[in-house]
This record gives sequence, structure tokens and C-alpha cells, in this order.
Amino acid sequence: MIEPGSIAPLSEAPLLRVEGVRKRFGGVNALRGVSLEILSGEVHALLGENGAGKSTLIKILSGVHVHDGGSIEIDGKPVSFSSPAQSRDAGVAVVYQDLSLVESLSVADNLLLGREPKTRLGFLKKGQLVAQAEAFLKSQNIPLDARAMVGSLPFAYRQMTEIAKALMGDVRLLILDEPTSALTDDEEKILFEAIRAVAARGVGVIYVTHRLNEVFRISNRVTVFRDGQNAGTFVTAQTNMRQLVGAIVGPDHAVLKTDGAGQSTSSSASTGPSEKPVLELTDISNDRLDGVNLELRGGEIHGLAGLIGSGRTEILQTIFGLRSIQSGEASLDGVSLKDIDPAAAIGLGIALVPEDRHVQGLVLEHSIERNLTLPRLPTFSRLGWLQRGPASEHANAAMRRLAVKAPSASTLVKNLSGGNQQKVVFGKWNEPRPRVLLLDEPTVGVDVGAREEIYGVIRAAAAAGSGVLLVSSDLSELLQLCDRISIVVDGRVTRTIARPDFGSAEDLHHLIQLSQPSEEHAA
Amino acid sequence: MTETQSPAKAAVNQPGGRSALRHLLQGERPYMLYVAFAIMLIVFSLASPWFLSIDNFLNIGRQTTLVSIIAVGMTFVIISRQIDLSVASTLALSGMSASLAMAFVANNWVVGAVAGLGTGALIGLINGVLTTRLEIPSFLVTLGTLSGARGLALMVTNTKPVIITNEYYFAIFGEGSVLGIPAPILWTLGVTIAGILLLHYSVYGRRVYAAGGNPTAALYSGVHIKQVTTLAFVLTGTLAGLASLILSARSHAARPDVVQGMELDVIASVILGGCSLFGGRGFVLGTLLGSLIIGTLNNGLVLLGVSSSLQLVIKGAIIVAAVAFTRR
Repeated sequence: MIEPGSIAPLSEAPLLRVEGVRKRFGGVNALRGVSLEILSGEVHALLGENGAGKSTLIKILSGVHVHDGGSIEIDGKPVSFSSPAQSRDAGVAVVYQDLSLVESLSVADNLLLGREPKTRLGFLKKGQLVAQAEAFLKSQNIPLDARAMVGSLPFAYRQMTEIAKALMGDVRLLILDEPTSALTDDEEKILFEAIRAVAARGVGVIYVTHRLNEVFRISNRVTVFRDGQNAGTFVTAQTNMRQLVGAIVGPDHAVLKTDGAGQSTSSSASTGPSEKPVLELTDISNDRLDGVNLELRGGEIHGLAGLIGSGRTEILQTIFGLRSIQSGEASLDGVSLKDIDPAAAIGLGIALVPEDRHVQGLVLEHSIERNLTLPRLPTFSRLGWLQRGPASEHANAAMRRLAVKAPSASTLVKNLSGGNQQKVVFGKWNEPRPRVLLLDEPTVGVDVGAREEIYGVIRAAAAAGSGVLLVSSDLSELLQLCDRISIVVDGRVTRTIARPDFGSAEDLHHLIQLSQPSEEHAA
Repeated sequence: MTETQSPAKAAVNQPGGRSALRHLLQGERPYMLYVAFAIMLIVFSLASPWFLSIDNFLNIGRQTTLVSIIAVGMTFVIISRQIDLSVASTLALSGMSASLAMAFVANNWVVGAVAGLGTGALIGLINGVLTTRLEIPSFLVTLGTLSGARGLALMVTNTKPVIITNEYYFAIFGEGSVLGIPAPILWTLGVTIAGILLLHYSVYGRRVYAAGGNPTAALYSGVHIKQVTTLAFVLTGTLAGLASLILSARSHAARPDVVQGMELDVIASVILGGCSLFGGRGFVLGTLLGSLIIGTLNNGLVLLGVSSSLQLVIKGAIIVAAVAFTRR
């Protein structure tokens, strides 16, 4: 692995200079004078909570919005983009979080979409199209098969296709908006190598992320925004996690949050989970699982570590009745879980916070109240008629308890930030307390502040006696929260470790068969 | 990407207000539709001396009854992200079944009603089960039953109409009236109110919205999507059955070749009324309004002496324009 900091020789004249840029939306000051300098050949991480102004700046750079004040220079020339096309012509390319690829077409088709080589009669020159795409991928050192169907590619490669597409043409500045939200460590590594290759050719890269670990792995420098202002720029090699978190959350609650978190960890560890198992899986097998043995105690936070595709998610889905059990025994408080469906699982007190909150967790077009009450509608009804009073009381209470930031329970979920959306998904299951709480990547795409709040919710659930089964690709998250961690490899649990024997994140990495060391967690 | 839309936009999105009132006038609902309806009423009133009269409005009500009643069921189907093309054929077969039951089983209006409603419900059940259990898209399933049910209706009597002679049946479904309001209009009102209660005030209604708004999230929340969807088809089929009773009571006979192509008016009403074809959005009162707009348009154009071929063209253009206008 290449050391960050030695990626490419940095030229001294900045490629992009943003100075004192301001932007207002109605009554909201999204940017109150931010500055940012990107050198050519550097990967510059941009951090900040939701609402800090990262996306606004990116939209200004990409020509979606026009800034109200301040200056933007590219190569020393002042610019102001009034359309995405202008920004594109100036050599700025943006890769957004939501992929914009046609899944049913090949990589080559996607790269040259809209500018396919064709004959005079309008017929596609298929061979030339693939050759052109292959030549381009090769020139960019991007390890992609031009003929592969995008829909069949793993996420990292789709992301890479997106980056390749953004790089078509003369790109000086590449902006990546949270490219790794859904990647495993392996995939992330592949993606990072591609990004480094791009930077090494002299392109300036702005890398927006919520994941601090990535900052240390990929970036040369870091800029933090808070409340539409600069909260510091650091050389990555000379800073640490604590300093960055402090800059992101600000002086008001940075210290308090981390201390509070530390305390509750120790207290939950001291009360400890009960010895009696709530949930027991014995030799569970189905199309994706191969003899899973697992025991979950009441009050315990039990982590499932493993690669994506190792069967972690499938274990949760099987317990929740989304996948059938072909052989083996599963029981909750002694009641068999064979042949249950999600409705029956919910009836037994099993709750699932799924991996993809947009697809599996929420009805985005509906209100917070509708989403919160969906799993337990019968409790808010008499003879099938909905009792509006109890339903909205429940929703308001859940919003208060989880500190969901929204004007009211009738706010549409699609208008909430990622962290608040995730709190709503938690709220669906928080009351009454489930016997078993299944969590699948609960903090993906959630900002640092909301993440700590969600940790608090998870700890509170365990403290109230729920057994929590937590799937996470963020190993430091598992180490921070769990009483025990089970390692999942190829559809089976290979090992279960209790807190005293945890070791470092590095050890965990090795256990789930990753060769990649993770320097910043150790200590 | 989420950040610029967090506080400011969310605050703008929801005005306060009483929930019942909000239900009538919610932001997502197309205000323009009400305006368009009002403009249409004014234009026709000015253009035709016969338009603005109670008799004519009762006339419009009677003419739109069949479409309005079935469209209430279709609202549930479309909100749950499905479509039912078979409603006109279902109506025809249900009418045959009701009239034959009264002719051969017992000349009792209850027998006719049970046979008609039951046939409609059964076709709805078939639509629902094929769609959810075999996972065939409802467009194809109901395209099949559209053809199959019509064929059966034509087959049973070898395309001949069946005469109905039951006076109670005529009175209850066709010719009776209460306080001067004709029975078909009362049925329309009753079905609309029941539809509003079921969709907006019952647990089932919430589940319909969830199943259509995001089926995966609904499944993960323990909603039995297959049951919810199937029930929406059964509801629509049953209402097509009810419509068949009303039609046959009015004409004192059931004919196998009636209302061909009516499914398009039904679907147009629902979409015009603010339902999203992508599911998860819509409301019963909007559907009624959509149906009334189409009915009023038909009526007004007839009163203005527009030729029936030109009527079709104008109707088509107005439907597309109205939908385009009410979407963003």
C-alpha cells in the first residue's frame, strides 16, 4: 500500500482556489464565506456534518447553484458557472453518491453513452465502441472490463465506472461525493487505488466523506466545514482522529460526546448481559447459510463481522423470516422460528433495521408518522380503524426520544437528512422494546453527531434487556459497541470473541481475512 | 447531497392545520384539478343554456356512476402499484351472472346481488392471486382476464341479453330514489364515503399506501403485501359487480357486450384525480372528481352539439393536458 503523503509530487500553484464563498437559500445561510485550496495531484478530503455546507459548495463548483459572494479561481482565472455544462467545460467532473449508470448496458456503453461511434446511417460501431472504451480505461489505469454488464458488477466497480465516466474528456478537478458509503474494505481498497492513479496524473481530487478512517487512507490534506464556515485545514499525516472529530462537531459538544460514549460503554459492560440466551441458532442452513451457530443473550450487543457477501446480512434476514430455514434449529425464548414470515417475527418481538434505509427501511414519500407506525398498525387501531390520536402520540414520543430533527411528525421522510432518516428507522422498532434487535450497517451515510446519538440508542436498547445483533463493516464501531463479536466467513460463524479478548481492529481485520492493516485504530 | 434540503425545505413542506382538513387539501393533491373543474363548469354554463340545471347535474351523476364506483376500487389498486384492465369485462360477466341467477335460481334481488357481487369478487381474487403468487405483472394478468371474462360473458347466452323482471332489483339498484336523489347516485356516494374511510382511516388503507410507496420497506415492516394487494383487486372486482347491478337494473336486462373500453375511463379518472401510477399516492375524493370531470366533459360536449368523433379527440387531449398540468 502506498503511504498517503507520497502519492504524487504536489505542484505549488493551486489548481482550485475558493475564497470567501457565500450562499443563501431563502433564510438559510448555507455558506458564510468558505475557502478551499486544491493542488493538482492531491486528494483533498472534505469533511463536515450534514448541513455543514459540503454539498452546497460542490453544487456551486459543478454549476448547479451560483454563489452569492466570494471568488472561485481555476488555474488563477476567476470562474463562475451558471450551468453544469460550463463547469464541465472548465474541467470539473463530479461523481455523485447515487450512481447514474444504466445497469443493463456494458461499461463501454455507459462510458460512451450519448457519443457512441456510429456509421453514417446511424448504426452503432460496436467494435470501435469497445476499443475506444478499452483504450481509455487503459490510459487511466482503471482495471475495468469494458464489456462487463454494469448491473453484474460489484459496487466498487460500478463506482469506478462512474469515475471513469466522469473522467472522459479533459478533467482537471474530480469531485467524489461519498463514493464509499456501501463498500467493503476490499472494494474500498480497489477504489482507492483507482483514485490514486487519477491523482497521480495531476488531477486534483476533492473527496467528500463521512467516514474518518478513509480520510487517513486516501487523502493528502483535509478541510473541515462546520455551519457553512471553515473549521480547519490539516495535513493528513500531521493530524489524528480526535482532532478531526473535534473540528467537525465543534467546541460545544465534542468533548462531551466522546466522554459520554466512553462512560456508557464501560457501564453497559459492567452491568453486562444476562447469561440466558434469548436467541439460539443451531446449524442453520439455507441457500446462503451453511450451518450457522449463534447465541444471543438478553442485554447483549453482539457484533457480526465479515466481508460483504459472507452471510452477515443473510443471518439477520433468516432470523427475521425473510429467508426460509432449510435445516437446523432457530428459537427465540424457546419458540421455534421455523416457517415464520416478517409479520410473525415482529409479533415475537424481533425487529430489523435493514441495510438500505431508502429501499428497505422507509417509505420516503410518506410522513414520519406513517413510517413510524407502519410495523405496529394494529396497536393503533380498533376493529381495523386507525386511531389517529394514539398513532400521532406514538410518533411524537418516538421523535422526542430519538431527537429526530424535523418540524413535525407529518414531515415527509425524504426531506430529512441521512442521520434523521436512520433515527426514524430505529424509531419504528424502539417502542415497545423488541426482544431481539437486528441492525444491519446502522450508521452508513450518517454524520458523526447523529452516529453518536444512534450508538446511544443501541446501548439504551441493550440496557433495557434487548438482545442486539449488529452487522457492521466499520470494525472500530464493532469494537466500540459490542460485548461479543462473531466472525462470519462463507455463510458460517467461524469464531466468537468476548470483549476481554478483542484485541485491535487490526486483529479483527485478519480474522475476517483481510490483509490490509488498519493503522489508525490501533492504540 | 442531503444537506441543502434539510432544514429549510422540510420547514416549508408541511403547513400545520387540522388533520381532517389537511386530508381534503393536502399539498400533494392537485389544486389545479379543482380549478380546472370550476373553469369547465363556467365555460359549459355560459355556452349551453341547458347545462346549468339540477336535472342535468343528476344526469351527469347517473352517467358517471359506473365509472365513479369502479374507480374507487381502482384507486386502491393503483396506489398499491398495480393496474386492473379487466374491470369492464368483469362488469359484463357479473351482470350476466346476476341476471341468470335471478332467471334460473330464484327471482329474488338478493340472489341477483350475491351472484353479481360474488362474480366480481371472484375475478378480482383471480387477478390478485395470479399477480401476487405467480408474480405475473398485473398489466398482463388483467389483460388476460379482460379477454377471458368478456369471452365467458358472451359465451353463456351465446351473446344474447338476459331480461330481468324483479321490481325490487330495479328499485334498489336502478330506478328508486330517496329524497329525490336517484339510487345510482346514492350508491356512488355510499361507495365513495366507504372508500374514503377505508383508504384514509383504516389500517388496511395505510398498508395499501405502504405496499405501493415502497414494497420492500413494507415487507421489512411486516406488511403482508400479497394479501394487501390481492384485497385491492377483490375490492375492485366487487365494485365492478356492483356497477353491473346498477347498469342491468337501469336497462332491465344484462347484456354481455356492454361498456367495452370503460377501463380506460376508469383509469383516466383515477390518474386525473391525483393518483401516481408509480404507487403510494392518491386519494378517493380526487378520483371522484376525476370521474366527474370526464363525465361533465362528455355531457357538456353533447349539449354543445359536438360530434361524437370529435368528442373523443377533445376528451383525449384534455385528459393528457390535465395530467401534464397537474404533475410538475
